[in-house]
Amino acid sequence: MKREIVLKVNGESYQVYVSPEKMLLDVIREDLQLTGTKKGCEAGECGACTVLMDGRPVNSCMVLAFDAVGREIVTIEGVGGLEGLHPIQEALVEHGAVQCGYCTPGIVMTAKALLDSDPNPTEEEVRKALAGNLCRCTGYVKIVEAVMDVSKQISESPELREKLSQSQEFGAKTVGR
Amino acid sequence: MGYAVVGQRVPRVDAREKVSGRALFTGDMTLPHMLVGKVLRSPYAHAQIVRIDTTKARSLPGVKAVLTFEDVPKIPWNSAGFPPSPGAILMEDQYILTDKVRYVGDGLAAVAAVDEETANRALELIEVEYEVLPALMDMEAAMAEDAPLIHAAPQNVMAHMPIVIGDVDQGFADADIVFEDTYYVPKVYQVSMEPCGVAMAAPDMDGRVTIWTSTQMPHLVRGITAHALGLSTSQVRIIKPPVGGAFGSRLGVVNEPIAALLAIKAGKPVMLKYSREESFLATESRHPIKMILKTGIKKDGTFTARQMTAYIDGGAYATHTPSFAGPVAGWFLAMYKSPNIKVDNYSVYTNSTQCGAFRGYGNPQVVFAVESQVDDIAAALGLDPLEIRLKNHPCAGEVWMWSSWVIESCGLDEGIKRASEAIGWGEKRNKQERLEYAQGNGITADSTKKRGVGMAYMMHVSGARPMLHETSAAVVKINEDGKANLIYSNSDCGQGAGTALTQVAAEELGLNYEDVFITKTADTDVAGFDIGSHASRQAYSGGNAVKKAAAAAKEKLLAMASEILEVPAADLEVAEGMIRVRQEPEREISVAEVSHKAHFGSHGHQIIGAVSEEPPGNPPVYAAQFVEVEVDTETGVIEVLKVVAAHDVGTAINPAVVEGQIEGAIQQGIGYALTEEYRYHPGTGKPLNANFTDYKILTAVDMPEVETILVEASSESGPFGAKSVGESGLVATAAAIANAVYDAVGIRIKELPLTPEKVLAALEQKGN
Repeated sequence: MKREIVLKVNGESYQVYVSPEKMLLDVIREDLQLTGTKKGCEAGECGACTVLMDGRPVNSCMVLAFDAVGREIVTIEGVGGLEGLHPIQEALVEHGAVQCGYCTPGIVMTAKALLDSDPNPTEEEVRKALAGNLCRCTGYVKIVEAVMDVSKQISESPELREKLSQSQEFGAKTVGR
Repeated sequence: MGYAVVGQRVPRVDAREKVSGRALFTGDMTLPHMLVGKVLRSPYAHAQIVRIDTTKARSLPGVKAVLTFEDVPKIPWNSAGFPPSPGAILMEDQYILTDKVRYVGDGLAAVAAVDEETANRALELIEVEYEVLPALMDMEAAMAEDAPLIHAAPQNVMAHMPIVIGDVDQGFADADIVFEDTYYVPKVYQVSMEPCGVAMAAPDMDGRVTIWTSTQMPHLVRGITAHALGLSTSQVRIIKPPVGGAFGSRLGVVNEPIAALLAIKAGKPVMLKYSREESFLATESRHPIKMILKTGIKKDGTFTARQMTAYIDGGAYATHTPSFAGPVAGWFLAMYKSPNIKVDNYSVYTNSTQCGAFRGYGNPQVVFAVESQVDDIAAALGLDPLEIRLKNHPCAGEVWMWSSWVIESCGLDEGIKRASEAIGWGEKRNKQERLEYAQGNGITADSTKKRGVGMAYMMHVSGARPMLHETSAAVVKINEDGKANLIYSNSDCGQGAGTALTQVAAEELGLNYEDVFITKTADTDVAGFDIGSHASRQAYSGGNAVKKAAAAAKEKLLAMASEILEVPAADLEVAEGMIRVRQEPEREISVAEVSHKAHFGSHGHQIIGAVSEEPPGNPPVYAAQFVEVEVDTETGVIEVLKVVAAHDVGTAINPAVVEGQIEGAIQQGIGYALTEEYRYHPGTGKPLNANFTDYKILTAVDMPEVETILVEASSESGPFGAKSVGESGLVATAAAIANAVYDAVGIRIKELPLTPEKVLAALEQKGN
């Protein structure tokens, strides 16, 4: 039986009419038409569908839409757009860390969750955080370089840190659950 | 070299839309009244369909089309994305849906319905009765005298390709030592992150069908799909949006004909999207090959005879396989010089999913065998592994036997030198020095962890000439603001070809990179005929056409500028959008002004350059890959500590793109060496690991340090000296790891992947 629920995604409230078994990923892609979040396995194995739920990265293919009610959801569309890219996105572009781009939205969300909670991770911590996001193009080399570079930028620039924690277009309102 | 745009690490043309989630992949699209397509797949590896009843499915509300073998055109076809060419052997043994299933997952019916739930229910309502046949899951079973036939081919051998050069019997008689070894490499999957098999088809009122599809080969897929549907080529329009990785998996038709036929029958757009499991079950992968190598050699390291007998498991349909046997022979023939060479290739049908293209196209298989054996030969003869390779590889100025053309440039020797220094080859191969080095890392002589270094070399192609045509077409038009469009059948699947080609056009035109706009989406109604992305061809073949189209536009631009400035065109040059008199740089005019005058002055025309042609050659690329491993002799686990990859790619048009290709290919190569193997139940033929939990690709935690070294031995014929890079990084990786394991613990495993079980068994055997 379909029911109406309200989901809070990228700071906006959406009323959707969905069946209880529908996954958050499918609601995001089909009902909200936010197609930046990708479907790679439907089994929680690849990380292409990563979104933030109350600041934490989750595989949205494994979360029932009903269980996302009352949570703050951030998708890739909530991170950077025409008005400007998030420093993580800029770094991925600059380092040549984007190839096919299918895993990239998930990588951005995972990296954002990591740097929001720990702006100065070691390379090993970055790799561990990204271990649930499979990439078949890059060997992760330039992705890890890019995330380490952003971490360095944050540590060298208090202004950037301040900006990231306050600016809404970077999905900041969900930081620090 | 003095290039302005070529050689620069400019950001990719599609990076910003991808990093922001705005890039629309095929599976992100939707059309009004779009239906959802689904395929009914066989639960049996080999069975005749005795009865199929779709009555109930057809009467389910919301179902708009149901197809079985009865409904498909009775036109046999072949899915491989080959242009008709001398090297294309295209056995047509497929139909859009089958009446005899030949692997678990073979498609026997398809439905289109208003939503996914209805489509899935319709599949459940289709009644099928099978007469189950024995599942032939390996080549021995398939080639047995009394084996049932999968197709009509006797003993299930679809093709046999013998090649003889010289007299190998004499060569073996002349040898000081003859080595004979058997190697086996398994089936592995490309596993692009976007599952393989996504197409959206829409019929129109003029008898045409438009298909948006995640493909590497827009034009060839157009032709094959049209043929399978009984249409003429131009009745099909292929649009290729961004592709979520390919690596060969989309090198030809995947599911376009099913999507198109459903759409035509339903009279509505249909989206047919394979799940991850379906893309494992029903799309093409790397060929398993059994290779028997026999090599005769003199004590000084001179080859007297080289022979390979290969059994290639093509799976349930021919697709690439009979043609694929050609490059397999070519890789072997061309690696090392020898007066006598013989190859015997057998292509065999089995009841596994059909095999096709995967980065390297047979080369990783052959290089694993050849470079494993050469390492053993060097050890047996007491030769330096580097010397034996340097002495016997084909060099610039010599004929390369893969193409029978003269090699234009060779950076292998420099690559071996630089990479061996980077890995610390000299000190680490020296047992005493290595012991001291290991102790420095806290590893003692009686530690259960042993380290070793190994290397392997490879050569690869820049396109497939002369076996296959390599046509590309490009149109460069200069707009009235002095910026340019590059119209190209852009089959970039993430490798960065679209970016590199934009750089080539900008360099040739004398424009800034930011002022040239390539068609990011390929559209066969718009761009000229292009072969697509295969054989690492885009930079070389596509680059050739793009450079010439840009040159043609530039010639017209300078002719116009010469009229305006009243100086001969030969005295003019263009850079950063400005045309200047070479000897009097203060006399200048912008490209924008000239183009504006062309459009709206007395001439009234747009400056356009257009070219369609094949590139002049096929310059081979070289790579030397060195690895250091640590083998845990208690658990059998191999850890790759570092990979150094020296690649002669010719001129690197964009070094960041080139490095990205090598780094990503190495991830796939390490997987091939250590963790990846697609397995079937030997009795039932059911896949055992069609998911990412059981089919293990490397994560960010698993990847070792990778150091890439670019050796730019520029070609004579390539655009600005470019050759290729797309596939090379995968090719020699597994062999280098196997050789490093041998160096570490003295075991030689001749079957991939090098699992802990195999390592422990080999160590035990060695201990006994």
